[in-house]
Amino acid sequence: MADNAGNKAAIREFILENISESTVRDDEDIFERGLVRSMFVMQLVLFVEQEFGVSITGEDLQFDNFRTVDRIDELVSRKLAAV
Amino acid sequence: MPTVHVRLSRGVPESLAPELMKRLFFVSSSIAEFELIREEGSVTGVDLTLHSTGGEDSADVAAKVNRVVTEQVLPQRPLAPRVVWESPVHRDTFADTFPELVERGTVVVSGEGQVGFGEPLISLFACLDKRLRAIALSLEAAREYQYPTLLPTSVLDRFGYFGSFPQFPMFVTRLHNDLDVYQSFVERYTAEQRLPDDLFADCSNHDYCLPPTMCYHSFHQFQGRKLEGDMVVTARGKAFRYESRYHTSLERLWDFTIREIVFMGTPEFAAKCRTAVMQQAFALMEELGLTGRCEVANDHFFTNADTAGKILSQRMMELKFELLLPVSADRSIAVGSFNLHGNFFGDSFEITGRDGGSIASGCVGFGLERLVHAFLSQHGSDPAHWPDTVTREMG
Repeated sequence: MADNAGNKAAIREFILENISESTVRDDEDIFERGLVRSMFVMQLVLFVEQEFGVSITGEDLQFDNFRTVDRIDELVSRKLAAV
Repeated sequence: MPTVHVRLSRGVPESLAPELMKRLFFVSSSIAEFELIREEGSVTGVDLTLHSTGGEDSADVAAKVNRVVTEQVLPQRPLAPRVVWESPVHRDTFADTFPELVERGTVVVSGEGQVGFGEPLISLFACLDKRLRAIALSLEAAREYQYPTLLPTSVLDRFGYFGSFPQFPMFVTRLHNDLDVYQSFVERYTAEQRLPDDLFADCSNHDYCLPPTMCYHSFHQFQGRKLEGDMVVTARGKAFRYESRYHTSLERLWDFTIREIVFMGTPEFAAKCRTAVMQQAFALMEELGLTGRCEVANDHFFTNADTAGKILSQRMMELKFELLLPVSADRSIAVGSFNLHGNFFGDSFEITGRDGGSIASGCVGFGLERLVHAFLSQHGSDPAHWPDTVTREMG
């Protein structure tokens, strides 16, 4: 659980570094709310790969996997469990 | 012509080979031909044939090829192709009608990527456009416009076109209006009987360009306006893209015609219109007896540092679909694209809706010469073998 909370915190921190608002809810769709432009998804993919040492390819490259802190965290957990 | 083998500093996976191929002729005007060298499933090198008159050092060209690979191709994340429609029509044989049409004088090649044509292709072209126009006008709140050809460069500036697609735009200029300029130009021209090599030193104006696609005319038209409701605009007009050496027959032209449909309003309206046009276009392809498919696609971003990010987000969000029709047993061409833009153009052109917020938009463009070309590839050049639905319409 500690790892999971740490992962979420890291994801949240990365998003906050890239938006003008000071808070973001874990279930908030950062694209739909207009907090980031669509191209930010590439930065999220690279961040997840570098931060968690996983490879994001093929079926993982679904937009829904990157909409919220929660969804990114679920993707990370799934990838880490498969390592 | 000299040839040079370029060893890529890193191999390009086969899935990204098309992204490399569509960039190579834009890397340098010295490149006359290229061939990819493959080893164990990836592209490891490129054999280039260079123009002997190009004058560019082959090491410089090789360095540029590696730069485009490193900066624009390898950062891309290939997504598996996703097909959203396949024509129920099956076809095994295709005709390469272009040489025969040129021979007969039906098709006239007047320059690089510039092709004209006579009957029966004029009637075929008109018939296909008539059907596409009817699809556009069947949409709610649809209206048609005809635009001038020239587009102010300021229109493309508003949304950063030149930063994303520097390879495509063709500028329109003229001699600077000044008596001294005109006189010195005429004196030089009279003496040399040819345009001076430094002509553009006397052409300071770059206010206009040729439109790379038609929808920008519509966003320009409604710039700064508040729309009273959802709106659909359709227009047919000429579009121009510098396609380097990629120009081919009627398939890829520098100078071509688009039937455009633009949707402006709520995001739901734009999405609904795109779906409606796709469904009607698929039904039309079937009625025309054309085989093909529609899949998720991306624009040809070039040079920009965000190229990989733009392509990935465009594909992941399925903002672009292309209607692909085969022209031979192993090759298809895109004859139409179906796009959603989110609020991008609403923000860029300050077009607002009833709620005061930026409108969402989408657009569909059909390349009419390409559609004619795909039709001829599948049905042949003899109208006697064309579907009744077309020949009846043509009279």
